[in-house]
Amino acid sequence: MEMNWKAAIDSIPILNKAALLTLELTAGAIAIGVVIALFMALARLSKKRILRAVAITYIDFFRGTPLLVQIFLVYFLVPRLLNWDTLPENYQYFAGVLAMGLNSGAYIAEIFRAGIQSIDRGQSEAARSLGMSHSQSMRYVILPQAFKRVIPPLGNEFIALLKDSSLLSIIAIQELFYSGKIIAGRTFQPIPMYIAVALYYLLMTQLISQWVAYMERRLGKNDLR
Amino acid sequence: MIYVKNLYKSYGKLEVLKGIDCHIREKEVVVVIGPSGSGKSTFLRCLNKLEEPTKGEITVDGIVLNSEANVNVIRREVGMVFQRFNLFPHMTALQNVVLAPEIVRKTKKAEAEKIGLELLAKVGLSDKAGEYPDRLSGGQQQRVAIARALAMKPKIMLFDETTSALDPEMVGEVLAVMKDLAREGMTMVVVTHEMGFAREVGDRVIFMDEGIIMEEGEPNQVFEHPKNPRTQAFLSKIL
Repeated sequence: MEMNWKAAIDSIPILNKAALLTLELTAGAIAIGVVIALFMALARLSKKRILRAVAITYIDFFRGTPLLVQIFLVYFLVPRLLNWDTLPENYQYFAGVLAMGLNSGAYIAEIFRAGIQSIDRGQSEAARSLGMSHSQSMRYVILPQAFKRVIPPLGNEFIALLKDSSLLSIIAIQELFYSGKIIAGRTFQPIPMYIAVALYYLLMTQLISQWVAYMERRLGKNDLR
Repeated sequence: MIYVKNLYKSYGKLEVLKGIDCHIREKEVVVVIGPSGSGKSTFLRCLNKLEEPTKGEITVDGIVLNSEANVNVIRREVGMVFQRFNLFPHMTALQNVVLAPEIVRKTKKAEAEKIGLELLAKVGLSDKAGEYPDRLSGGQQQRVAIARALAMKPKIMLFDETTSALDPEMVGEVLAVMKDLAREGMTMVVVTHEMGFAREVGDRVIFMDEGIIMEEGEPNQVFEHPKNPRTQAFLSKIL
């Protein structure tokens, strides 16, 4: 069959919308993931054994099982846990973002932990010697420094997350990959469509890279070492 | 002001402190000297519980250091200056100084900054208030660290080899600030290799080796007529 780019060009408005949805899904997952990760990282470093155990179990589970399985698991488990008879409208978006957020929370927790542990012990000693509590020392001294250091690995994680959001097509979320697949099937032009989809993903991951580089420059200005 | 009773500290099998007893009086400047590995820094770090003693009792300003709450209260009253400065690199000199008064003592921002600027002036760094630590020399950083500790209005100051990480030409400016403090009547415990400082400023010198206090006394007596053979050997090597 002849390769025809018209279908791909005609579908730009649809792909734009789908790409926007992909960005929204990723942003939602990042928001959930970062909050979970902060708690899990602090729990992982806690003196209390039970908190450490919770964090380790969480991280092992969500890193050690496929995201695809987690998406299905969340999709089917949540209505069961909440005793829903019928699924609310657009439930799949909620389940999809939640699953991705839970998953990224595990990875980002390890990034945060590494960041916190990379800060010299003298910093917390100085803070504690001034009478700050453990949480004050974390909040004002350790975390601001750690955050700066974790921006590059955090950028990696955000990019991975954006690409992995294509897995949400499996629960019929019409994000970028799903839309591309549908149009490819309808127009019998898979190659131009998937090239277009790939370019969209590339553009978006580039945006994240640029943002990360910008943040690094901005936050690095008082840190010349 | 500080009572130390039968203090022991081990790291696993390694015994660093093997029974320290000592009393530090108000307004006294006690200088702790001794070879590396003698436990003098560990001893100092036990006084504000940066190290958890294995055994023994420490009482500071009438409070026994036996609970987390007590320790946080005491740390407000006990300032510490470190060998490697440990300034907060993401804050300016002034922010370093005002942070603890603001969040621990709940001092109002304007008030804390006024005191902070006064303290920076006191250590000779009025013009550096807005600089980040990596723009400051080692000596300047250490003076900011002293101002930071003083901002909590401590009753006691601990100095942990505060000039050991400095280039030689910067040692003097830090020692000068410490001398001023001593003259103002601050209670100080100073771990140092600066024998000139010990002799000039110290009210009492403690010589530590192998985790115990080998000898203590007035600087003149310890430096001129050391009784313990270990002290004699140590002093003969460095003087």
